[in-house]
Amino acid sequence: MNAEEDRLVTVLPIHLSNALAPNVHIHQFPLLTRPLQAPPSARAAGKRIAARIKPKVKRLEVHVPVDTRQQVWNNERARELGVARVEDDKEKNQESQKTKLKEGEEPRLSEVRIQSERIPQKGAYMLGVVRDAGRLHLHPISESYQLRPTLTYMDVLSRRNKRSRAGDDSDSDDGPPPDPDEEAPPPVVKKEKKPTPGEAREVQVAARRSDKEGGQAIQGGLSAVRREMLLMIRAEEEETWEDLEYCEGETEESGHAFEGVFSRSQEPLECKTAVADFLNNIRGLQ
Amino acid sequence: MADSNTSGSQHGLSNGTPGPSVPKAIGSLAKKQADVTRLGTQKLKFVPTLPARRKKEGEVKQEENVPKPATSERGRGRGRGRGEGRGGGRGGARGGAPPVEMTASGPFAMGPAMAGSSARRSTPRSNFTPIVPLGPGPSSLGAGLTSSAPPALKREKDKDTDRVKVEDDDEVYSEPDEGVEIVDMENVRQMDWMAPESLRKEKDDAKKKKKQAKETEAAAAEVDLANAVDLSESEEEEELEDIIEDFALEAEPLEESDVRQERLYFFQFPEPFPTFVPRQPLPDAAPIDVDMPDPSTLTDGSDAKGKRVSFANDTKPPAASPTPASAPGADGIGLAPDQKPEEVKLDGQIGQLEIYQSGAVKMRLGNGILMDVTAATQPSFLQHAVYLDMDNKRLCVLGEVNKRFVVTPNVDALLDDLASIGIADELQIDEEGLFKMDTDS
Repeated sequence: MNAEEDRLVTVLPIHLSNALAPNVHIHQFPLLTRPLQAPPSARAAGKRIAARIKPKVKRLEVHVPVDTRQQVWNNERARELGVARVEDDKEKNQESQKTKLKEGEEPRLSEVRIQSERIPQKGAYMLGVVRDAGRLHLHPISESYQLRPTLTYMDVLSRRNKRSRAGDDSDSDDGPPPDPDEEAPPPVVKKEKKPTPGEAREVQVAARRSDKEGGQAIQGGLSAVRREMLLMIRAEEEETWEDLEYCEGETEESGHAFEGVFSRSQEPLECKTAVADFLNNIRGLQ
Repeated sequence: MADSNTSGSQHGLSNGTPGPSVPKAIGSLAKKQADVTRLGTQKLKFVPTLPARRKKEGEVKQEENVPKPATSERGRGRGRGRGEGRGGGRGGARGGAPPVEMTASGPFAMGPAMAGSSARRSTPRSNFTPIVPLGPGPSSLGAGLTSSAPPALKREKDKDTDRVKVEDDDEVYSEPDEGVEIVDMENVRQMDWMAPESLRKEKDDAKKKKKQAKETEAAAAEVDLANAVDLSESEEEEELEDIIEDFALEAEPLEESDVRQERLYFFQFPEPFPTFVPRQPLPDAAPIDVDMPDPSTLTDGSDAKGKRVSFANDTKPPAASPTPASAPGADGIGLAPDQKPEEVKLDGQIGQLEIYQSGAVKMRLGNGILMDVTAATQPSFLQHAVYLDMDNKRLCVLGEVNKRFVVTPNVDALLDDLASIGIADELQIDEEGLFKMDTDS
């Protein structure tokens, strides 16, 4: 690209605002290619997309109602899965207040639960919008999440099927056998023992290593990591869900939020970073 | 295009025995997995009888047809239509049937994306995810699924045939039988809410249209050049032009003014994003525990926090801000007690986006920072920019991210800057222009 013949065509001023930071996030739906909307049949029935969040562990769930038309939905299966889901919810302490009202009727699967996974950001992410006056407005994106449907209720179903089978084969849910070099999980695990078979895996592991509980803190690396993981899982399961109102793109609240992204001032901001800082921040470069 | 029998060798095979239409020399190679079973007999497959089609399309369509022989009602209807069309038109209607003009009728006549919910979801997404509108009433739901009267969809391909003169883009099908409608594979998505996606083919059309446009518009000498241009090059040009469109296009207001037309873009900057501060010089950079009531509402946030006084108006007191400040000049970074030191509310102009004629887009920020903007790999999935409002327990979707861009420091400017600052010494740039990298750190 020759610099001489490269003529400047347009110039757009760039504005930066972090008025809504750190609450502007990006949600990616890797398994979804169509817009996230409730199907028309569900919308006609009054169902809307709902969301809930566990703020401390940064876990978000979006519940999208499904299309329950007879041509595309199997009600029998929905009932089976609904029961499985209720059971799964009870195990993981994920019941929301809303579902408790449905005690009278038999539970049915009526929504897809899309769960978030926090993704580390590479570099600084900015949301940019071009306003028709020919200005580019930037706003930092603080967190990135990827959302995928969770089908953990299938575990309940498969467990039930396995139990009903006459075989004495060990559950494949056990996961890999504990590594002999790996240290025992801390005694904390034992206290978490829940009556339901949902925790079968943890119980078994703890039982096998019961003799080593004394030396768990000393062996370092692996046991610390394992302990952290278990603590994280525990913390997540114990935190309660907070329901969120999900406002889609066209709602008034979203419009309001959208306007908040834009910068309001024309004043120039001073830059404190030099070009060389980019180089300095590359790891490995002196 | 006269070699409709051999070039579309799949068509040749579909005629019956693989013998006569395929030269013996490559008899073994002629056996395509999809066409011939192990016994060598002809596998039944549904092939629309088309006179001269682009091989690529033919392959795509056949591959789509074969795996779903008769699973769903719709599939069956469609397959049967094509299969029988082929059977009926074998040796006959091929190349002779005029393009069937189908008009849209029924609940999905409006076409995609007119429910007002998607005016902002434009270009890359709407290409392959048209949204099925709500329809006029509950009775319309599921109407698309009955095999007795599937909606006939408008064939958008006809528009293409007008434009693309060089290649015959006709989607010619044989006459539909009674009770069966022929649906173009790409329009399947519009038939129903739960209809599956069809594979994208926009890229090819767009590329060919561009080539076509180049050829028709350019002078004779340039036509040869256009033909000689590598596909990869034209792809690049396309992308750059698209970037220009993204930034320089004036937004035309659509009929529904309540739908936001602004497109959301995602920019990825290198770490660290340059820090900006309000123009005012600060005597103390350390966090000042100024008791500033921070409303942290959407409307007042930015105004309350950032005080921008340019050098020219240095004497102007920060009267624009409603919040009181104890130190008159030092409140550019006043912090509410519960805020982290980094959370400075910024609001202002940081630079400019320059668009060049060649299609290059650069960002010029302060301090001589020049960055190149390029289009990133566009993901095919949905991306939402959201605002999480924990105070109101609300998750607001700001919109869908239409396009991603990657911003990288302009290397020439970077090196010039280095040379001028003399960092070259620090990095121990030797004669060849190489410097040592410390890989241990």
